[in-house]
Order: sequence, then structure tokens, then C-alpha cells
Amino acid sequence: MNGPSAIVREASLLRRDRGFLTWVVVVLALASIAVLSGLNEVSHQRATLEKLLAADREDREDALAKQSDWGSAAYYSFHLTYDPPSDFAFAALGRRDQDPWKHRVRMLALEGQIYERDVGNPVLALIGRFDYAFFAAFVLPIVLIVLLHDLHASERIAGRHGLLVTTAGNASRPWRMRAALRSAAVFFAAALPLLVVSLNSGVSLLISGFALCALFVYVAFWTVLCTWIAAWERPSAVLLANSLGLWMLLAVLVPAAAKVTIDRLAPVPAGADITLTQREAVNDAWDLPKAATMDAFIERHPEWAEYTEMSRPFEWKWYYAFQQVGDQTTEALSGAYRQGRIERDRLAALVAWLSPPALLERVFQRLADTDVRASLAYEAEVRSFHAQLRAFFYQKMFRERPYDQTALKSLPEFAPSGVAP
Amino acid sequence: MSKIFLVARDEWRYWGRSKLALWSTLLFAVLLVVTAVLTALRMEHERSERIHHQAEAEETFLSQPARHPHRMVHYGHYVFRAPSPLSLIDPGLDPVTGQSIFLEGHRQNSAMFADSSASADLGGLSWLTPALIYQLFGPLLLILLGHGAIVREREASTLVALQAQGVRGFDLVAGKALALASAILVLLLPLGVSALAAISMGESLIAAFALIAIYFLYLNIWSLLSLLISVLLQRRSSVLTGLTAVWLFSTLLMPALAVSNTTREFPLAGKIEVDLAMLEEVRKLGDGHNTEDPAFQKLRADLFNRYNVNKVEDLPVNLRGVVATEGEAKLTETMNEFADRRMAGELRQASLLNRHGWLTPTLAVARASRSVSGTALETHQRFLREAEAVRFDFVQGLNKVHAEELSYVDDINRNSSDPEVEKRSRVDATNWQVLDDFRFETASQELRIENASGSVLALTCWCLLLAAGSVLFGIRLKP
Repeated sequence: MNGPSAIVREASLLRRDRGFLTWVVVVLALASIAVLSGLNEVSHQRATLEKLLAADREDREDALAKQSDWGSAAYYSFHLTYDPPSDFAFAALGRRDQDPWKHRVRMLALEGQIYERDVGNPVLALIGRFDYAFFAAFVLPIVLIVLLHDLHASERIAGRHGLLVTTAGNASRPWRMRAALRSAAVFFAAALPLLVVSLNSGVSLLISGFALCALFVYVAFWTVLCTWIAAWERPSAVLLANSLGLWMLLAVLVPAAAKVTIDRLAPVPAGADITLTQREAVNDAWDLPKAATMDAFIERHPEWAEYTEMSRPFEWKWYYAFQQVGDQTTEALSGAYRQGRIERDRLAALVAWLSPPALLERVFQRLADTDVRASLAYEAEVRSFHAQLRAFFYQKMFRERPYDQTALKSLPEFAPSGVAP
Repeated sequence: MSKIFLVARDEWRYWGRSKLALWSTLLFAVLLVVTAVLTALRMEHERSERIHHQAEAEETFLSQPARHPHRMVHYGHYVFRAPSPLSLIDPGLDPVTGQSIFLEGHRQNSAMFADSSASADLGGLSWLTPALIYQLFGPLLLILLGHGAIVREREASTLVALQAQGVRGFDLVAGKALALASAILVLLLPLGVSALAAISMGESLIAAFALIAIYFLYLNIWSLLSLLISVLLQRRSSVLTGLTAVWLFSTLLMPALAVSNTTREFPLAGKIEVDLAMLEEVRKLGDGHNTEDPAFQKLRADLFNRYNVNKVEDLPVNLRGVVATEGEAKLTETMNEFADRRMAGELRQASLLNRHGWLTPTLAVARASRSVSGTALETHQRFLREAEAVRFDFVQGLNKVHAEELSYVDDINRNSSDPEVEKRSRVDATNWQVLDDFRFETASQELRIENASGSVLALTCWCLLLAAGSVLFGIRLKP
């Protein structure tokens, strides 16, 4: 009754179980739809970026051609910054629906620009897309629950339970094998589309291998949980209700409670305070003595200390100095806003261990580089690009270099990380 | 008729004895109450915070010292979207849309700071609200309560006895449906309490009642569905498995699939993309900072003719202010045209999505609930439009001051190093009164209910169809 022959026998039983086969086909179909719609979105995002890059360059060149001094050149030229989707992003679109992944910035105070949100339709972001991470983390466990909850109970109703237990010699062995076979079939149906598309879109073996391992462990976890509940001597309705209750606990209640708690534990300043502070600082500068602005500016940029002399009432170097001082004034607040988000994400990563669905989704988003960390990293890239832009123009303005269109050819260009400049 | 009531009363007695029914109802109620309290606290905090920020922003603007008027155009202003009272039940789009906009001359900025961007990310279902609990987990509870209604009697062979006593199939189905409907009313009590809280914050009675009615309709769809499957299938376990599968498809899968389908069918260009296309057009309009811009030559000639002068300095108005006014008006026209196009695209996507409401009542109820709560896409777009109106008004108000209160000669000497001359390029702070108070109000109840009507129609059709099915198969009920 044991060994390979038993597996073959169980497998041939399963092959005739039409209800089960239907579920396997459904899983295969859903997994395929998930990866394909993810791929479609990623290619749409890539096409959008391509269009934007061309339009952005054209707009900038057009704007620059009309200028006759460095200050106006900096004022009128915008630069596209962006975070292109990774190869694995199709599997977990993650934050990309809610957080901006593209901006157009210029050399004015960055705090007034970086919180702009060019994101898609909020109605769609609210519901969320059907991506693979969502399918695997939230839908797949319910399929397993439906398939596994009445393994025992159905045999009990059919009156074969006692017989099966006696002939197997071990009370749990036949059910374990049955459960394992069913889960294995579900795992393969779910994994196949992911594997095929990953290999096809050039995802590194390390990433796709890790994703499949995570999926395997996740399916195994739910299989153990379901078979544990299925072994209770209760009617199948109670077993199903309990399994679904457990799903709700792990997929919804723990994350929801954790979210509320974390957001309270790690507060972030109100966004309005950041932008209001920044605006006050920038605008007050017009009425302050120029030295006040320049002194604050020199604290950060001692290399320009000898060039702050102004011969005219309005000079661009002073204008951009107070833009920078505006950012400096907001630093504490915007740093707290960033730190708060980092802290919230750190706590969420810890708590996710209590909620396997949230954990799996986070693992996929990490692999796809579409998580909060990726959003923050992109924001850091925008900041560093903006700093380069400032460095470029400060050279020209403080040293009072004559305006030269050809020098603008060497304007810094934004290069997203992971993409060779 | 009395038989129907007897059947219903019996069902309540059965629930009273069933541990499964009791425990799941209790858990549902606890979850609901806790979520309702937390959501109410959060939204109330948001509401008072934003109203406070709005007042603060207005105060700062008005308290600015004497300045060159165009400086105030760039100093700008902030508006905040205060959430509607019913958002304590269904916050809807509030957390995923920016809640404030910076208004300044020559630009339409996007709404900044969405709660969802700063909050801890723990998966798609972690943002629990009372609305979401009714939409996703209410059905699950009704499945647990309703799935056994008929099939239980069949499995226990009590169906024969009942029919022998003259209880017809119709009485049985109607009685069970009545029991479930009354259970739904009890389940809606927490919603009623939240609605009362919203009414105390100024919500209209009709809108609050409409919201409760929408959820009543929606939950009845699920009780009738449970009943129908319970009539049709022979075994209790297959009834439950089948209903779980239906629940999985209509609450978790279909809405997400509908989103993917909508974006594939009708992709929408983002704001930057639209802005870049717009900039191409704007370049033709001329720069409102530059009186020499060829785009304003005709305006200048007209002014010279009208006032019969031939020097800018002799004009009774400040040409720079007039040009700024004209430039802003033309620019705004173009910006609005593109913004309108983008918003129409969003609405088109939303209506494509809503069409899927005929496939799953969950999408239909979510849409109806957001509309009535005043947290739907229409609300956010109205916020953007009202913000734009405020922007245009105060910018043009300042431009008018620029044209009429400041002489051209003083204006072009605004950067003079002589403090006296520089001072003459500033206008008095009383001119900042051009800014109107802004309070974002909830739309009228009629409009909100009208926006929900399509989805309510879908829900009603679902309900009628399932009721007809239950009755049809109920009267042919065989033991």
C-alpha cells in the first residue's frame, strides 16, 4: 500500500476527479492571465517612457534655444527623471500604481517638485491590478483551502474513512499523500506560466529561482495548514469556515491591524507642512537682506564663499541660492517624512512574518524592485540628479562664465540605476 | 403567509443553536465595530487637519506684506480636499489621491501627498474600512449562514416532513429568504450607527439612507445566491464549496481582472505625457512675462489705439499687467482643454470598469458606495476643477492689480538698487484680499445618488434575477 505504487494509484484517482482537474485548469489560466496582464502593463510603461524621453528632450532643446543667460536656461529647462520597470516587474507591479515613478524637475527648490504625483487613474489604483503576486498571495490559498478542506470529511461521509485508515496502517499517511499530490499539481499549474514568462523576458535565474522557491514554500505552508484543519473530526462546512477564517486572519486581519499600529508607532509629518515651510523660506528670501541668504547658502557650499558679491539688485546666483536655502530649511521635515516611511517599511517587513500572504507579496515586490524601498531609492536618485544639475549651473553662475549654448550640451543627464549611462 | 414567518423563525432558532453561525457572526461584528471606530477616528482626524491647513494657508496668504503683485502670483496658494462625512464608512479614493494642491500662476500642479504613499505596505487587503468589510466579508458570512438553508433539510430528510405538513416549496424559500433578510438588517446596524455619526457631521438623511439601502441590496444578492445554490445542489459540502468559488471569483478575482482589462482596452496617458503635448501648443501662445513677445503685439497695438498714445509709458494701465492677464487667460484655456481631456479619459476608464459591475455585484456595490459617500472619482475631479477656479481667480485678480495699481515705469524699475524706487514697485497688502475662501464641500445628495444609479440598477437586476431563480426552483423543490 505504500511507496511508488500508492502514489500512482492516488494519482490515477485524481486524474478522474473532474472537480479537481477543473481547479487545476483554473489555476493555470489565472496564473497565465496574471503574468500576461503584468507583461502588458510593463511594456506599456516602457513605451510610455520611450515617448516621454523623446518629447522631454525636444521640449528642453526648444526651451534652451530661446535663452540668453544661465539663469533662464536653468529656469526654463525641465528634466525627465524616471524609474524604468525591472524585468521581473510583470510579476509584481507593487507600488508603481500608487507612487510616482516619473517626474520632470528643474533647478528650482526640489521640495516643491518631488511630491508631484503623476500616477494613473485612482479608481484603478484603489482596486489594484491583477498581478501575479496578488494571485499567488491571496487567491491561491483559497484554492488550496477549497481543494483540501474536506479530504477527510468526504471520505467519512462516503463511509470509507475507517477502511482507508486501517488498510494504510497509519492514520495520517493516505491523507498526507493525497494532500501533497493535490498541492503539487496546483503548484505546478501556478508556477509554469511564471517560469515560462520569466525565462522569456530575461529575468535572471537567481530571481526567478528565488521566486519559485518562495512560491513553493508558500504552497507547502498552506498545504500543511489545510491538512491540519482537515483532520479535525468535524463536518466539512465547519472545516471550510475555519480554514477561510484562518485565511482572513493571516491575509487581512493581521496586516490591517499591523498597518494601523505601525502608522501610529512611526508617525510622518503632514505633507502640507513640508511644502508650506519650503514656500515660506523661498519667498521670504526676496525681502531678506541678500547676505542672509548667501550666508546660509555658503554654509552648505563653502567653495563659493568668494563669489557671493552681487553687483546688481537681481542676480540669478542669488535666486538659485535662495531656492537651495528653501530646500535646506525644509530638510528636517522632509527628512522626517522620509525616515518615517523607511521606519514604517522596516516595521512592516518585520510584521509581515506574521502574515504569510503579505510576506509573499513583499518578497515578490522586492524581487521585482517595485516595493517601498524601490520608491525611496528612486526618490534618492531624483535628489542626486537635482544636485548634479545645481553643481553644473553653480559653476557657470558663480564664476560668471559667459553664456554659451554649446556648454549646455554637457548638461547632466538623468540615468536610472541599473541602466548604463 | 404565517407559514413563511414560521419558517423564518425556525431558521433564527437554528442559527441560535449553530456554533458556526454564532461564532462567525460574532467575529464579523467585532471586526466591523473595531474597523468602523478606527476609520471614523482616522477620517475625522484627516478632516479637521485639512480644514485647519486650509484656514492656515488662507491666513498666510492674506498676511503677506506689501509686494510686487506678480511675486504673489508665484507665492501661490494651497487648497485642501476635506473628506465628506460619509467617508468614515467608505473613504473610497481619499487615501489614493493627493489631498492638497499648490496653486500658482502659469501652472496646474498635481495633487500631492496621498496617504497610501506614506503608509506601511502590507498587501492589497490591509486597508480595511467598514465598506470593504461589507463588500468582501459580508458575503462570506451570508454564505455561511445561508448555504445550508435548504440542503440541510434535504440531508437531514426533514424536507419530506415539512412538505407533508403542507409547507410548500415557495413558503420554504420565502421564509428562509425572509430570515436572511432580517439577519442582514441586524448586520447593517453598525453601518447605521456610522451613518448616524455622519449625519451628525452634516450628512443628509437621504444619502445616509441610500448608502444603507445599497448595502442591503448587495447583501441580499448574496443571501439569495446562497439560497439558490442550496436549492439546486444535493450535498451541503458541494453547496459550500461552490459558493466559496463564486465568492472568490466575484470579490477577489473579477475586480482585479476588470482593472487589468480596462487598462489594456483603454490605456491612458499620464500627466507628464499630457503636459508635454500641451507645452508644444503653449509655446505658440507667447510668454506672459515678456511684453515684447510677438504674440502680444496685437494687444499692444489695440491698447495704443484705444488710449490714443504711442508710448507704453503713456498708457493709463500697466502694459506688463495687461500682458500677464492676457497670457494667463490664453494659457489657462489651453491647460483646461488638456486637463478636461485627461479627466474625460479617466471617466471613460471608470465607466469601462463599471461595466464589469454586470459581471460581479462587488464592483457595482463599490462604485455605488463611493458615489453616495462622496469619495468617488467625480469628487476628486471636482476638487481639481474647483482648485483650478480658485487658482485662475486669484492669479487674474493679482494681474488686474498689476495692471491698474502699479505704473509701468515703477514696474520696470522694480529691481532698482534705490530702496525708494524699489518700494514703489510694491502694492499694498490689502490687495491680497482677491483670494476667496475655499472650503471643499460634498456634492449634493441628488448628484451623488444619480451617479450611483447605474450601479444600483445592476444590483437590482442581480437581486431580481436571483430572487426569480430561487422562487422558480423553490416551487419545484423535491425532497
